[in-house]
Amino acid sequence: MPRKEITLSRTHRTALIGCLVGLCTVAIAPLFLDTYFTNILIRTLLLAAVVMTVDILWGYTGILTFGQSAFFGIGAYACGLVFTHYGFGPGWALGGLALALGSAAVVAAGTGWLAFFHGSSPIYASIITLALPIVLTQVIYSGGSYTGSSSGLSGFPTYFWSLEVWFWIAGCFLVLTTTAGWLLVRSDFGRVLIAIRENEDRSAYLGIPVSRIKTMLMVAAAMVASVAGFAYAAFSNVVAPELAGFQLGTELLIWTALGGRATLLGPVFAAIGIDTMSSWLSGAMPFFWKLLTGIAFVGVIVALPRGLAPLISGLWNRLRPQRNAIDFEASVVKAPGTRMLQGSFGDAPPLRIVGLSRRYGSLEVLRDVNLIGKGTELLGIIGPNGAGKTTLMRCISDGKERTTGTLYINNVEIAHSSPQQVVGLGVGRSFQNTNLFETLTVSECLKLARYRIDGASLFSRSDTVALPQPSLDILQATGLDKKLSEETKNLSHGMKRGLELAMVLATEPSVLLLDEPTAGLTRPERMAIGSVLTKLTRDFGLCIVLIEHDLDFVRAISDRVVVLHQGAILMEGTVEEVVASDLVKAVYAGHKEDESA
Amino acid sequence: MGSVIFDILTTAGILFVVASGLMIILGVMKLLNFAHGAFLTAGGYAAYLTGAAGISPWFSVPLAGIVGIVFGLLVERTIIRPLYNRPLDAILATWGLGIVISQIFALTFGRGVQFAPSPLSGTIEVLGIEYSAYRLAVSAIAVLLAIALIALLSLTRFGLNARAVIVNENLARGLGIDSTRVRAITFGLGAGLACAAGALITPLLSVDPNMGLPWLVNSFMLVLISGVSFPSLLLASLVLGGTQVLISTFISPILGGMTIVVLAAMILRLNPKGFSRA
Repeated sequence: MPRKEITLSRTHRTALIGCLVGLCTVAIAPLFLDTYFTNILIRTLLLAAVVMTVDILWGYTGILTFGQSAFFGIGAYACGLVFTHYGFGPGWALGGLALALGSAAVVAAGTGWLAFFHGSSPIYASIITLALPIVLTQVIYSGGSYTGSSSGLSGFPTYFWSLEVWFWIAGCFLVLTTTAGWLLVRSDFGRVLIAIRENEDRSAYLGIPVSRIKTMLMVAAAMVASVAGFAYAAFSNVVAPELAGFQLGTELLIWTALGGRATLLGPVFAAIGIDTMSSWLSGAMPFFWKLLTGIAFVGVIVALPRGLAPLISGLWNRLRPQRNAIDFEASVVKAPGTRMLQGSFGDAPPLRIVGLSRRYGSLEVLRDVNLIGKGTELLGIIGPNGAGKTTLMRCISDGKERTTGTLYINNVEIAHSSPQQVVGLGVGRSFQNTNLFETLTVSECLKLARYRIDGASLFSRSDTVALPQPSLDILQATGLDKKLSEETKNLSHGMKRGLELAMVLATEPSVLLLDEPTAGLTRPERMAIGSVLTKLTRDFGLCIVLIEHDLDFVRAISDRVVVLHQGAILMEGTVEEVVASDLVKAVYAGHKEDESA
Repeated sequence: MGSVIFDILTTAGILFVVASGLMIILGVMKLLNFAHGAFLTAGGYAAYLTGAAGISPWFSVPLAGIVGIVFGLLVERTIIRPLYNRPLDAILATWGLGIVISQIFALTFGRGVQFAPSPLSGTIEVLGIEYSAYRLAVSAIAVLLAIALIALLSLTRFGLNARAVIVNENLARGLGIDSTRVRAITFGLGAGLACAAGALITPLLSVDPNMGLPWLVNSFMLVLISGVSFPSLLLASLVLGGTQVLISTFISPILGGMTIVVLAAMILRLNPKGFSRA
């Protein structure tokens, strides 16, 4: 595939050129700058690197963090404390840097543990990041003469290199970290980050370990920020609690918003521009300048949610002749030897539910459900609205949902596993409404579904997705294989359903939970899906649990039907038995309620 | 020992008063108002100005409340309403608004600390303990406020509409409830409560352009931990505020300052529902 090599190197080549241009600019810039500006810019360049990490966290991944300054402060204090109290020299400097990296990583991991877990709200996570710098500042205040309390530490020994040298250090650090960040957000892993931002729940149900990824990202961003803080302390020879404070943390956020979130370079340039300007102007009119940035910030949030960068890039695109769309041709291939193909024809049933119930307060939505789903079986679940069908699905796919009962997937008890762990056990779940990742393309969505199995490369992007045979079949049957580079928001409803199913199958489940997979589809589309489903059970030994209102469809494909009514299993049997049953008729017709209860 | 109990009760009262404006906005609008701290500051300056103008300090709280309501309605119309579908952006916008407000105060009144006269001075003796009269008055006001807010939500037409919007906004709209109006009134009410709370606590402390900031984070924690229920907020203020007082008194005031944040974060991590069912 020659195309692949061209496109791969295109991203990397752009990064390389950008990196070199950046380094050259940094190299010659001190020749044109006076001492005053060089001085200001050293701080600014270091902060710009921190802003870049804020953009990755907030702009790309959706973690609104007020606390990135805390890690800058940790780095700065690591430098100040080591040089003040312990010693000075190359060894001490390296030790201090290691201390900065280590403590930033530990604090970030702790913060991540507090802030990110399945079911935590984004607002809660933001508040935790807001609390972090406040708590840290309190800790610094309480440190007495060790941390210098409110006046901080100054006058410790450091390397009094010339301004140019510090400028080069700061500039190179910014260029290199930004290049790495630029590659990261354009890589396959970058797509995972966007998926988390767009639809965190859906990502979890595809087996993506959302909380772990967020925490890891937080740790990496914290380490970058701590290096910047360390360098700043070594350069300025002063550390003060403000460096870790939440005022700075929110300023980082403001620069990101003004520059344009999720553009990476926008925030970096915004940081350089605004911070330089504010150092320059704040001497003359300190409060007024802050007032102006505050007003600009509110204005940009309300009127230009994407910041200033899109305006500039829009202008650039207009001036420049449009190049041919370089959207590379994505392709799908068959994944080698998958678990799915080995099937579960064996004796142990893939799904076993014992005495499951679910209560919301005093309301009992499910009570004492016992169910066995065999491999090669298509189990239909029917029942009137409110019978607890969707709740049952939720209980199977999220270990924290049920109130009592035990659940075995492939003979493993799911205990209190989070959705992504349950996916790992072999459960795939599709949703009642198609909630896909709007801005991602078909192939990117499929790649997400493969993240659990194939991982994602951090700094590069591949254009082939390896999929198990059933996924490929569905792509072919719905014509999606010709639309792999299309963004999902442009797909028809039928295709979205098809993609949803293909994505769930790409996670190689042995138990497949489908919640009304044919709702809103045309008859031919239904037939196509129906035949794929039968093939899945027959040839791949899948256990499919299907919620469906359309009894004809159920009759056509299903071996066994379970009727749920008011949270309990009312009846179990073949479609014929169930349809003929007076009890079921009564339930559906809604009369003789007492008899059925 | 007796005065510690009074400290706990009055601290809880103050926390409740300070957080209630934030809670009503979060409950009805699902919006965390980061300008809450700035609204508190505005109330503080209102108390200062009332005192400077020679008006009786008793009027400062209602005056601040009225100013807050008017200002809140204005802000809702211009900044909050366009962002209703972008909750995280709304947070940022209210945060930006907070910066703007505090810079305006810094430009007008300077960075320094100002004091407001207290309507009640000195101490009174309750159950054999000499205690600050004004702190006790603030706690009494907190209890009255809690009763009034609960009554507002459960007995009035606005309360019914607001509760409908809290539970299911789309359905409420379908039933003909003008949710835009409910939201506007709520924000006005929340801002008014915040300003009044600022005016109420200023005589105990002092006012400066960033006065609201330390209260902001504590209020966030209390509100997050109590869900949308004033009785829970009262309980959370009592438990967390009480722990804060105990730690400040017996261990260290600096640790006490962090108590609410750290404790609330831990509680929410272990039980994301917090006190909301209590």
